[in-house]
Amino acid sequence: MIALAFLFLTMMVLKNSALLPFANPDQSTSIALGFILIFAFLFGKQVERLGLPQITGFILAGILCGPYIFKFLDSEQVVDLQLIDGLALSLIALTAGGEMRLSRLKRRLKAISSLVVFQTVFIVGGFVIFGFIGRNIFPFFSGNTWTQSLAIALLLGTVATATSPSTTIAIITETKSKGKYTDLILSVAVVKDFVVIVLFAFFLSLSSLLYYPDRGFDASFLLHILRDLGGSLLLGALVGGGIILYLKYIKKEMTIFILGIAFFTYQISHSYGFHPLLICLVAGFLVENFSPHGDRLIQSIEKSSLPVFVVFFAISGASLNLDALQNSWMFALICVFLRGLLKFAGTYTGAKLVREEPGLRRYGWTGFISQAGVALGLAVLVEKALPGWEGGFLSLVIAVIAINQIVGPVLLQKLLLKVGEAGAKL
Amino acid sequence: MSAIYAFGLLILLAFLGTQFLVRKRTLSALNYLFLSGFVYIFLGLYLGHHGLNILSPQVLEALDPLISLGLGWIGFLFGFQLERKYLRRFSKKAVGLSVLKSLFVFLCVFGMMLLLMMPIFPDQPPYLLFGTALAFALLATVSSPTLLNAACFVLPARGDYFYLARFLTSVSGIWSIVGLSLLFSFWHFPLLETHLIIRGILLLCASTLLPSILGIMFHFLTRKKTSEHEMLVYVLGLVFFVSGAAFYFNLSPLYSSMIMGIVYSNLTRIHEKLYPLLLSTEKPIYIMFLILIGALWNFRFDWNIVILVAVFTFARIIGYTLLLPLCRLLLRYPTPLPPVYGLAFLSFGGIGVAVAVSLKLAYPLELTDVFLSVALLVIIINELLGPKALQKGILTLDSQKKT
Repeated sequence: MIALAFLFLTMMVLKNSALLPFANPDQSTSIALGFILIFAFLFGKQVERLGLPQITGFILAGILCGPYIFKFLDSEQVVDLQLIDGLALSLIALTAGGEMRLSRLKRRLKAISSLVVFQTVFIVGGFVIFGFIGRNIFPFFSGNTWTQSLAIALLLGTVATATSPSTTIAIITETKSKGKYTDLILSVAVVKDFVVIVLFAFFLSLSSLLYYPDRGFDASFLLHILRDLGGSLLLGALVGGGIILYLKYIKKEMTIFILGIAFFTYQISHSYGFHPLLICLVAGFLVENFSPHGDRLIQSIEKSSLPVFVVFFAISGASLNLDALQNSWMFALICVFLRGLLKFAGTYTGAKLVREEPGLRRYGWTGFISQAGVALGLAVLVEKALPGWEGGFLSLVIAVIAINQIVGPVLLQKLLLKVGEAGAKL
Repeated sequence: MSAIYAFGLLILLAFLGTQFLVRKRTLSALNYLFLSGFVYIFLGLYLGHHGLNILSPQVLEALDPLISLGLGWIGFLFGFQLERKYLRRFSKKAVGLSVLKSLFVFLCVFGMMLLLMMPIFPDQPPYLLFGTALAFALLATVSSPTLLNAACFVLPARGDYFYLARFLTSVSGIWSIVGLSLLFSFWHFPLLETHLIIRGILLLCASTLLPSILGIMFHFLTRKKTSEHEMLVYVLGLVFFVSGAAFYFNLSPLYSSMIMGIVYSNLTRIHEKLYPLLLSTEKPIYIMFLILIGALWNFRFDWNIVILVAVFTFARIIGYTLLLPLCRLLLRYPTPLPPVYGLAFLSFGGIGVAVAVSLKLAYPLELTDVFLSVALLVIIINELLGPKALQKGILTLDSQKKT
């Protein structure tokens, strides 16, 4: 606690405007990164004492130090650090892929598909109904025809379906969880991400048609989806093959190699519009299931994963737009509540149909609340696709993500503890 | 597409690296180029704006924190090795020799470089030429123990000369890093010409005090049982923070993190726990740092640079070889120190690169661009000359003494 207070005060002093004539503001990213890394980590440890996951502490520390409260990190620095964010995401996805064993997936294929299908159907369907009912109640939908409201609700539902695999992985790693619930939650989160991306591309084109009927239906989006997904899968296979060969023949300097993979994957996906998450997921999956080197890959990543997780979640906290939350917190809370309710209904029905245990039916939904990068990315695309509408889709989604990202990790941790799969002493 | 080429290149280099990095019975220049990691500077050069432009200036700007981390890491590791227990093993005369040797090299290089730069850059203000000559001189005093450590496995004849050289090279960085911090504090960018003494003293105190307190804090944080993962977060976070703070105030990140390393090293009792962690993390950070430095290198070929490289190399070799007997004479050092012994000190190691690049980053001027080019070329040339020079000097002397 003393170290935390000392660091905080030091940063206050260093950022004091009286010292500005001595300073070089262009070189402030490193100090911000160092501060956020150690401050968020210490903050996470304090939060852990309260029985909450460390990740919640990292995110809260990011919010505190970000551009809206203490301003230790400004918006520009948050953008600057997104390259490191991209690296972190690639590492997280490699871990996720490496954790997915084909044998386990096969065994639970029915449960995974059932949960993915029912959650998606319930949430998208639920939000469409909500759009119809709420069209004349909430200002969010005001000024729109019913087809336009349908378009917005459809997109809102799709974005709401997304869960954050990175948060899920981080909580699983932090709690050292192992078991069938853990496997199922992770697999569903990952598969659902894939489904959401495909579904979103389809609904975005459909919504565009509904919102602007004079535009006509543009079928080229199908080609885009095919290209992006196909390219990502192919590249993932290539990267995975490269890792297998490296682990077989070279074996040395794994950390450098993994960092190189993460960096170049990010670069390639950035240049060609592929999905870095999918590429690394496929690569990790291939290494785990088609070579004997899966454990080595995971060990190499885990060696340096803690600092990566700390920075990644702290920055994701710092990039949450609190102004947006302030402006639309009421409606955001309603959306969060509705999403939670629909997650419960979807998980309950999906689990019941494949005769999963009562525990999963009742509490399984709490494992799918957290939201982060993918949902945010999709919301940005919606804003771009519907330029005439000033309802504040992005602001609403950011506010919803902010709440879900604080509540989600706590609920997931509680679930893993409740089902007895958390290995770490908490 | 370029990213895919670069990726392939990285794998190829890693593969070649594994072939060359294996310790062999002979230490060739090429072997050492891989062993010291300097080959990654060339990779960085190729990935940068001179080649594939993957590490474009925009990407490099975003990766600034990694350069800062590299500098901080080198400084911290260097400081961490300066434990009282280790330093006490050497006589006062050996310490004196280290100071005097560095001073002579410093004066020799400073004089020659200042005289040479004045006609080469007649348009540059004298205080800039003076500062750059100082920087060249400070860089010249750096020599690294990496080559000696590598040579350990090559030739069995290791005697007094070898151990003395190891001590001298392992502490030589101090004088350069301290000198650099004085330069950064009293010649603070961008207020170069208004080098007020009080301001300089304040900045020097700040760059010493903050890392000292953080070193103490680090000790308290790791006093109780700390896992390896947690330790990594603390080290990375504090090194980022200290070197970032130094960068932010245009001070020397090498100096600040060295101070933190010294303070922590002399307080903690978990050296044996931290060393493996630091060493396992060192290589990835160091290689990343070298690649970024290569990309940052605004390489250009002109005759001025060739002349500066030649004179710098010559002046440094003169300083190390011909002035060494004078050091012995002044200190009345018991062991004979023939000029050939000075050849053991040619290799710069990572600290040399760190010193060169920290100056370029703190003073974004045209002249520091030239400085970086000259410095990197000299470093690479000396790394190539190093193995042969070492064998000619120290190892021959030790063999003679043994026989």
